[in-house]
Amino acid sequence: MLRARKIRKSFGLGDRSLEILHGVNLELKSGELLALVGASGAGKSTLLHVLGLLDRPQEGEVIIDGADAWKLSVQERANARNKKIGFVFQMYHLLPELNAVENVMLPAMIAESRLVFGSKRKQHHERAAILLERFGLSNRFKHRPGQLSGGERQRVAMARGLFHDPTILLADEPTGNLDTATGERVLELLFEEQSRRGLSMILVTHDMRIAKKCQRVMLMEDGQIQADSSLPMPA
Amino acid sequence: MFRSFLSWRYLISRRSNLVGIGGILLGVGAMILILSIMTGFLEEQRRAIRGTLSDVIIRPERIVGPNGMVIDPAPFPEPILELLLADPRVRGAAPQLQWAALISEKGIDFSTLFSSPAAAENVTKEIVGIDLRTDLRLVEPALSAALASIGAFAPRYLVQDELDATGFLESLTGRDGELGWTIAPRMPLFPFETGREERALRTPACIVGEKLGRQFGISPGDTIQLATLVFPPDSEPKLNNRDFVVSGLFKTEANDVDSKRIYVDRFELADFIGTFRSYSQILVRIEGDDHVAARAAIETRLDEENLILGPTYANEVLTWEDTNRPLLGAIENERMLMAIMLSLVLIVAGFTIFATLSMMVTEKRRDIGILSALGATPSGILSMFLMIAFWDALIGALLGGAIGVLAAFRIDAIERWLSAILGVQIFDRDVYLFTHIPTIVQPLSVASIVGGAFLIAHIFAAIPAWRAARLDPLTALRYE
Repeated sequence: MLRARKIRKSFGLGDRSLEILHGVNLELKSGELLALVGASGAGKSTLLHVLGLLDRPQEGEVIIDGADAWKLSVQERANARNKKIGFVFQMYHLLPELNAVENVMLPAMIAESRLVFGSKRKQHHERAAILLERFGLSNRFKHRPGQLSGGERQRVAMARGLFHDPTILLADEPTGNLDTATGERVLELLFEEQSRRGLSMILVTHDMRIAKKCQRVMLMEDGQIQADSSLPMPA
Repeated sequence: MFRSFLSWRYLISRRSNLVGIGGILLGVGAMILILSIMTGFLEEQRRAIRGTLSDVIIRPERIVGPNGMVIDPAPFPEPILELLLADPRVRGAAPQLQWAALISEKGIDFSTLFSSPAAAENVTKEIVGIDLRTDLRLVEPALSAALASIGAFAPRYLVQDELDATGFLESLTGRDGELGWTIAPRMPLFPFETGREERALRTPACIVGEKLGRQFGISPGDTIQLATLVFPPDSEPKLNNRDFVVSGLFKTEANDVDSKRIYVDRFELADFIGTFRSYSQILVRIEGDDHVAARAAIETRLDEENLILGPTYANEVLTWEDTNRPLLGAIENERMLMAIMLSLVLIVAGFTIFATLSMMVTEKRRDIGILSALGATPSGILSMFLMIAFWDALIGALLGGAIGVLAAFRIDAIERWLSAILGVQIFDRDVYLFTHIPTIVQPLSVASIVGGAFLIAHIFAAIPAWRAARLDPLTALRYE
């Protein structure tokens, strides 16, 4: 489904370079729920951005559906982000000018021309409404992000991430900005959708309690995978 | 889809965009209004220049060789007129004799004027000898009395006259009664049917420009004296003077014509000045608007018949534009300069779009990152910001265009309203010789201005839009 090989990523820091990822290898199987845990600065989010085709690595390859995604054209990569990958960010990242339904439909707006979108508008609207209803937001369709609570915003963001039925969902600390109870409710919904859809999902977190709920856990330290629960523990 | 949808949302959700729209609105509206007024003024000027000119002017050269032998291919106008009138392209043709004369009230000693060049310049006027088909012109009520009184008429075998050959008649009539002839009320009608010989016993008549009349306090019915230098072939130049009765005044829009010109019978003038030719040029009016082609054809024809000296003398056959090249060029330059200056207003509007879009790109960095993460391409983001400029231009240009066109049509009412509010006369009708502010709204100009607004808006939006497209999605996502 998703395979990353020897990913190296460094950032320029003045006249020297700071290496964040030191040749990371990762394989995500179809329908697998993987938790990426580690302390702040371990390189979890950077790895997620590389896997999500948002940040180009200096070395290595990201294979999605058999093709090295970083060798695709800008247009093809954008298309892959739109159709194959769903994102859920810690900061929700909703557009403040759009209401909840419009935010959820945004991937379709980006993918389609005015003409195509116009002919399918009703269909898209219904689909967005179903997703929002499923996340308990049936009375929040016309609300803008500023009029929603943190938990509601994150649920809108989740609905948006799932709108195009992606094969991979990348969630970066989705409960990081929520209180414990709301966070748990949001995670519960997210796991439910992952399991129902058979989604391949990577969840970045630094909370081991959350990670334990996932099928597989990978521990990252200093830009390297230190432990993988699917592999036998080193002696 | 997201380009138009989001750009519209961004546009309506931010008041700062109103500055860009307002700038375009103001620029387009002002340009349309001012250029319409300018075009109106310039067209009035052009029409005034055009009024007394024919389409094509023939001025056959006459040269005197080193041995004193004179070469004059056309000492009389008739052969040229016959040739012209046989040409289907020619609508009218008439000879004209031009001279300069000093004007004075009767009894003034002209010789005193020669000692003062300034005074002489003030009284030096253009005296024009013309032919009129007086009998035919008499059916035109407004003109009949004056035309009859001037007593000029064209020989019967020529069916065209001065008024056929120029736009002078049009410049006098059909202008809301503001222009035209003022006829001497007690002026006895000269019997036009009688020949010149009989009329020669009376004082000859003339028609003078209205401004010239005002300058010298001349009313219809007054007698003026004209003096000029004549050059008899057998003696030294001498001063000759003659009395003329003013049979009427005319008013065109051309300052030079109204303040300097005196019309008399061509043969009367020829007799007065004793010139070697009874005409100085032949005025030709042609069918259609292609003056340049007509000029070339006439020149070739006259050359073939040896009625002009030929190609060596390039200025023998001219179009009316040729004779007024510097003035027309100046008018065009003025129009062009005005357009350039006014386009600066649009450029200022472009800068406001640049500023508001630059601010927007900075503020919307996070949104740009979100869009990238969701699959928007850099070109999609670029065109989304360009579309904001498109909306700016569309709304600004449509409103500005409508306001500009409406204002151009209602400029007199606006001027009166503003004058009343400000307590000053904005448009002085005495200065400009017309009672209304002339405006001409040219659809092509309006389209160019609107097109220019779109172009400027997009050019100025291109830099911030390019910046937005080049933003690293991650940097943008991290932006708070």
